[in-house]
Parts: sequence; structure tokens; C-alpha cells
Amino acid sequence: MAVSPHDGRGRVAQDDAGAHLPAQGDVVEPLACGRDAATVWDHAEAGTLDAHERECPHCGAAVADARGLEAMVSRLAAQPLVPPPTVVDRVVGAVLAELRPRDLLVLDSPYGPAALDATAAAAVLRGVVDAMDGMRARSCRISRPAGDAGRPVPPAEVSMTVTARFGIELASATARVRQMVLAAGEQALGVPVTRVDIEVVDVFDLPQPSSPAGREGR
Amino acid sequence: MTGPRTTFHVGDGVVARVAAEAATGVPGVVALRTDLAGTLLGLAGAVLGTTRAPVVAARVDGTQAEVSIDVVTRLGFNCRDLARAVQREVSAAVAQYTGLETLVRVTVVDVLLDGAAPQRAASTQSPQVPPPGAR
Repeated sequence: MAVSPHDGRGRVAQDDAGAHLPAQGDVVEPLACGRDAATVWDHAEAGTLDAHERECPHCGAAVADARGLEAMVSRLAAQPLVPPPTVVDRVVGAVLAELRPRDLLVLDSPYGPAALDATAAAAVLRGVVDAMDGMRARSCRISRPAGDAGRPVPPAEVSMTVTARFGIELASATARVRQMVLAAGEQALGVPVTRVDIEVVDVFDLPQPSSPAGREGR
Repeated sequence: MTGPRTTFHVGDGVVARVAAEAATGVPGVVALRTDLAGTLLGLAGAVLGTTRAPVVAARVDGTQAEVSIDVVTRLGFNCRDLARAVQREVSAAVAQYTGLETLVRVTVVDVLLDGAAPQRAASTQSPQVPPPGAR
């Protein structure tokens, strides 16, 4: 039973591997006795160990490996998997954070560099405008130009598209939105806002039971 | 006789752990967020029962430390004031534990809008968004 583990190119020569000849090009280290460990594992699993595999210490070790792994895997598989309640949130948040280009707004702080994610800031402003009576925010973008070193950072600029409920006075609506954005920028975000561009892109009407005229389009 | 010369060095992990603890304790901080690798490590650690992966990036350089923290807050807390508070608290905590001077870089990465925002906001003294319809 002469085995030459490796010829010059790393190919394994086996004389009695049977069905488990490795595919061309695969490098498989045989056990010290010359058997292929995969064959031994298969035999151990099927309960068809031959005389050599029962006696040989090398094969015996391989069989023990197989049993050990089987025990470990089945034990882990039997454990109930209890994910932390926020597992999905955390993974989704991390993936989104990874994918999203990070636009940051500078937050003024005397203690060091601080910043606020622009997407989150825009979401806050959208939410604030959404909560106003008769207004819906559609899109919102907020940006703060980078300041020169040593100079205070200039205030942020907001551009927003909104829809208004049918019948709302648009002139006052935009003034309300403007005020709301300025206040929210200062109070909720801590970002001074110097400019608000508001575009009213649409009107919507709520179904009103008392006025059948408003329901014609539905 | 003088004793043997001793040097004292604080590891990055210590600063990261202290900073994470201090930042989590700041009112208004809902969570600290780490990158994808950190999140997966943290989850794996939670499942396997090993120690938490650090959620804060920290680097110690001589007697200076630099800490980067990503925090999630919720509506009702002023982001600028929150960032300042985190910087103050973390810097003080790290200085107290390790004696290192710390530069704290804070990024507010998310603001939670709905859910428990109103009653949480009502219980804080931070400036609040005027409720819609109040004007």
C-alpha cells in the first residue's frame, strides 16, 4: 500500500479510495494510513466501517471527528433560536446606513465636531410639515454649505415641495410652512435655516360627507 | 531607591467601552449605531453570549483619545444640544476613567419620528417643536 501523498504538482495519489476519488485538480490530504477522511466519515455515518477503519487509530480519530461534529451540530440545531427583538431593525438600519450616501449637516458645538444626517433632518422637517393642518410634505432637502476653516458655518437652506388641501389659502400656507420649517430647524434640529424654498405642487381634497360636490372625482 | 519604571497605556477598547456607556446614558440618546460589520458582530455576540462588540470607534494616541459616536435620537430632543451633551458627557467620563483628553466626534444619524415621541418629549425640558395647530 504505497502512497505518495503528493506528486510534483500537489495532486494526491490514492490507491484504494474507491468512489471518493477527488476531482481533477482538487488537493485532498489523505489520512496518515492513506484513507480519505471523507470516505471514513461517510462510512461512519452509514455504519459501514470496514475492518481497517475500525482498527486504525487514524481512521478512529476521523470517526470521532464525525461524531463530535454531528453532536455539536444537532445540539445547536435543537436550541431554539431566539433573535433579539430588534434584530431586523438593527440589521436593516445598518445596511441602510451603509448604502446611503452620507450627507451631513454641521451642528455648531464648542466641544468638537458634530454633525447631523441630512436625510434624518429632512425627515424631521417633512414630519413637522405633515403634522400641520391642511398641508402634506412631499419632498424635502436640506443642505448646509461647508464653511471655511475658522469661520462660522453659514446657515442651512431648505427646499421643499408640499401639497395643500383644496381651499387652503396658498399665500398663507407657504408662510406657515416657512415659519414651521424655520422653527423646527432651530428647535428640533439646532440648525439655523436661512432660506426656505417652498413649492406647492398639488392640492388634495379630503372626502367631506357634507358636501357631495367634492366627491365627484372619486 | 526608585521603583521600576512603569508605563501606563489605556487601550482603544477601554475608551470605546467607557464612551459607549457614557453616551448611552445621555437623555435623548435612543441608541448608538455602528457600521454593518459592527452590527453583525454585536448580534453574533448577543446570540453566542460573548462580550459586546464595540459600537464606538476610539483611538488612543499618546495622551489624546479620539472617539467617533453615531447616535440615534427621537423627535423632541434638539439635535444640536444632544450632540453637545454627548460630547460633554463622553469627554468627562473618559477623562475620569483614563485621564485622557478626548476629542469626541458626534454624528446624529437618525431621528425617530413616530411612536413614543409625544409623551417622551413632554417629559423633557429640552426645547420642543411647537405642536401643530398651536399657532
